[in-house]
Amino acid sequence: LPCAQDARTPPSPLSFPPPVTSEQIEHLHRRFKQLSQDQLTIRKENFDSIPDLEFNPIRGKIVHAFFDKRNLRQESDGLADEINFEDFLTIMSYFRPIEMNMDEEQLDRFRKEKLKFLFHMYDSDHDGKITLQEYRNVVEELLSGNPHLEKESARSIADGAMMEAASICVGQMGPDQVYEGITFEDFLKMWQGIDIETKMHVRFLNVDTIAHCY
Amino acid sequence: MEDVWSVVLRVGAAWMSLVFALIVLPSALGVSLGISEAYLWVLMKTLEWATIRIEKGVRKPQPQIKTSAANGIIERDETPMEKEIVHPHRVDFEFSDIFYFCRKGFEAIVEDEVTQRFSSEELVSWNLLTRTNVNFHYISLRLTIVWVIGVIVRYCFLLPLRITLAAIGITSMIVGTTIVGQLPNSSVKNYLSEVVHLTCSRILVRALSGTIHYHNKENKPQKGGICVANHTSPIDAIILTNDGCYAMVGQVHGGLMGIIQRATVKACPHVWFERSEVKDRHLVTKRLREHVADKNKLPILIFPEGTCINNTSVMMFKKGSFEIGGTIYPVAIKYDPKFGDAFWNSSKYNIVSYLLRIMTSWAIVCNVWYMPPMVRQEDEDAVQFANRVRSAIAHQGGLTELPWDGGLKRAKVKDTFKEEQQKNFSKMLVRNGSIG
Repeated sequence: LPCAQDARTPPSPLSFPPPVTSEQIEHLHRRFKQLSQDQLTIRKENFDSIPDLEFNPIRGKIVHAFFDKRNLRQESDGLADEINFEDFLTIMSYFRPIEMNMDEEQLDRFRKEKLKFLFHMYDSDHDGKITLQEYRNVVEELLSGNPHLEKESARSIADGAMMEAASICVGQMGPDQVYEGITFEDFLKMWQGIDIETKMHVRFLNVDTIAHCY
Repeated sequence: MEDVWSVVLRVGAAWMSLVFALIVLPSALGVSLGISEAYLWVLMKTLEWATIRIEKGVRKPQPQIKTSAANGIIERDETPMEKEIVHPHRVDFEFSDIFYFCRKGFEAIVEDEVTQRFSSEELVSWNLLTRTNVNFHYISLRLTIVWVIGVIVRYCFLLPLRITLAAIGITSMIVGTTIVGQLPNSSVKNYLSEVVHLTCSRILVRALSGTIHYHNKENKPQKGGICVANHTSPIDAIILTNDGCYAMVGQVHGGLMGIIQRATVKACPHVWFERSEVKDRHLVTKRLREHVADKNKLPILIFPEGTCINNTSVMMFKKGSFEIGGTIYPVAIKYDPKFGDAFWNSSKYNIVSYLLRIMTSWAIVCNVWYMPPMVRQEDEDAVQFANRVRSAIAHQGGLTELPWDGGLKRAKVKDTFKEEQQKNFSKMLVRNGSIG
């Protein structure tokens, strides 16, 4: 059906991951226009207008993820200043739910993409490794709202979790062995057998725009 | 040349006498000739036909279950944080704990409950107005023709009629109240002032092709009380004064609005505040208290949300109105979006373009429910009382309730809210873990 919209219609669905329906793209496009205040690109400041997001302790990291060039599948590194609608869709696609008709290979790729997204969220200096300090940062951010929890406690929680991760990846370490950081391969190893696909998705309701008679 | 003028004058005179006879006079007498009802009936039939055409025109098969667009486009997983973040191995923190917040963050970015209340309600089916044609595609030639006829009817016939009526209404309000205002204070003056206000309201409602259904008229606000309603647009006040007289509360404006305010306050004790006075909350409360204490004065009309919301939900009521004391008469107003969108998005449209949009819609159809009076209980504070009234109004009008402040239209969330989630999460960890 030809669309009765103006020239700024959203682009066609992406080939990977599995395509979103055109209705969902329209909804997202409207949301994009709302966030960007009718501009063609979104900047970090535009996310300040979402009250629900203010609640979120890792708000900074989530917004950061939208501008992270690694997530935007761009060759270069670092942060983009602004993103257009296609980039917005690219990031949204990390949260696609699993389709019924996916085969093994697609499922595996899907999972890897989601885990990569998560990895980038922890690895803030983009060096491909999650170091102890980066891990501590995440835990501190998550716990930052509680004035009764001291920084030391947050640190020891992070250290404990890091040791656990190290033991899975590297096995028992000697007393003078230094654990550099979790690489992406190690990260994947940690998640083996754990179901993340159902935790990391946002599912659209099937809202049809044509409806019943009154 | 002369002939053209005389023809124009005669047509003009005929037009005005028709308007006067069919609309102004019945308004003054409070009777209805049934023209609006007939118009609405024709409109309903046309819209139903249009809906059927649109449904036929869509080729893909439609599932039988439809969801209301007003409730959101994504499926929210309401599992509370405690259930979702489970630590089976007695470890204090796991990498996956971040998932919960990540997902919540994304859900908020795709759609948040608050911002969507500040844009017009989405229609489930097209109502043949260009402005609502966001989701709907070209269907058929017949539908387009009907739409074109609709445009002609609305812009060339209805709009001039409505502008004429609005002009008559506003002028008679100003002139009428000024005349009545010259009289000395007496019951005659009050009676005449009521007549003038009611007549002008009725004319103005007809100027918008308004059809209002009042329910539970036995609960209508009494003198000495405070009438409280949800706020969707500036015409809410006209909708209510169509059926009764109220003392308005508001800030003094300049321009035409200021003239109306100055004229009406001579006839009827409205409460207009200067801009400087508005800042002083105690002064405002004091004046309102004095007004309410006088049992002979008309009930005050207040909109406690403080700003226009899009009529799908009721936001936080400011507690100021509930500290005055007296009896509160809640009123719920629900507009039917099919015939015209009454919501005023003040950040998008100024008042003039808003009025033009209203006047080129099909009609304004709404339901008004008068609810039984409420008073503040001994053990309630103003905030709890405000919430109680708000729940009653939301329940009656079929609106959802949101705890958010309407001021979020322009401001940011307070910091105290932000830290809630972080506190909860860290409390959880400390409980589960071995941190002392």
